[in-house]
Amino acid sequence: MTQHLTTDNIIDYLHGELDPAEDALVHSHLQACAPCRAEFERESSLTDALRAYAHAEERDLPGMVKAQLWQTIRTQRPSAAERLAALLRPAIAVPAAALLVLVTYFASPLGRPTAQLRTIDVMYYFEQHAAEQMKSPLADRNATSSMLETSEAAFTGSTTLPVRAAAVMDAVR
Amino acid sequence: MGVPRRPVEPPTAEQAAFLERAIAEYGKATYNFAYRLTQNESDARDLTQDAFIRVYRAWRSFQPGTSFLSWIYRIVTNLYRDELRRRKGRFHEEIPEDNAPQEFGGQRPLAVTPIEDYVEGQLSEPLSQALQMLSPEQRQVVMLADIEEYSYQEISEIMGCSIGTVRSRLHRARALLRRLIQRQQQQQQR
Repeated sequence: MTQHLTTDNIIDYLHGELDPAEDALVHSHLQACAPCRAEFERESSLTDALRAYAHAEERDLPGMVKAQLWQTIRTQRPSAAERLAALLRPAIAVPAAALLVLVTYFASPLGRPTAQLRTIDVMYYFEQHAAEQMKSPLADRNATSSMLETSEAAFTGSTTLPVRAAAVMDAVR
Repeated sequence: MGVPRRPVEPPTAEQAAFLERAIAEYGKATYNFAYRLTQNESDARDLTQDAFIRVYRAWRSFQPGTSFLSWIYRIVTNLYRDELRRRKGRFHEEIPEDNAPQEFGGQRPLAVTPIEDYVEGQLSEPLSQALQMLSPEQRQVVMLADIEEYSYQEISEIMGCSIGTVRSRLHRARALLRRLIQRQQQQQQR
């Protein structure tokens, strides 16, 4: 670094705000350049002066601040936001509770009825019934095999439950 | 003041303990920060009190492990900014930042070094006067960077501005401070 440092460079260096490479460059430049070192000393002394001033001017927290703080807290009115929140609390809490109950209900087995279960039961029933019919020497084989085909189609979900049930019933008839 | 005030729910034991501890540990630093900002005791007391009321109300939002001092300095900063807007800056004679580069920018070292003299001797009054002549933002950035020794990043979080703004405000504020100190020394010599 052959040029002189800018004051801004020196201030950032003084505050440790340069990246490591820049910091190293400034550091080595200050070793070699008397005018820049003098400038650095001046900036440092300003910082020293500010710290000395702050130290000399340091004050204790007046006791009345703490007393008034607690007094204010005990006697203050709630802020507008707090009043609004208090006002809205039941209006928000009741629907929220209702929503929670509904979500809990539908997430639990109680809230999942039975559509799937009923389908399986009905199909299972008709398949078992058809199988029994097939064993019987007196059974109408056409009707029974048709019933089995229909029940298989229904089980694979190709139709809705009422339609499937109706189709199976028709086949039985 | 004439309207009777309804007390709010009393603080819980935990909330009260938090506030007590915050005041005990950080009350003095907060008050001094407020005093350096406002440059008067009455405003500093009010600012400190208002800041701790904010802490009391928002105590649950404080994240353990983070710097409480940075948090309350940020609260003080915001309250002070609001107060300045409310008062429309009539308590401060602000020096526009835009003036700084033309008047002081790029200036090389002063021929004399009055700052060292102030450090050794009559320090407080000239420096105090010089600080009062800075804009509130300039004064604050100098306090945070040079007295409180915060990094530019931390200052940007406290002041709610970019690191670049912190850097440029600090550069201008320090240049202005040096200029003002030099001027005062010249006046004293006359």
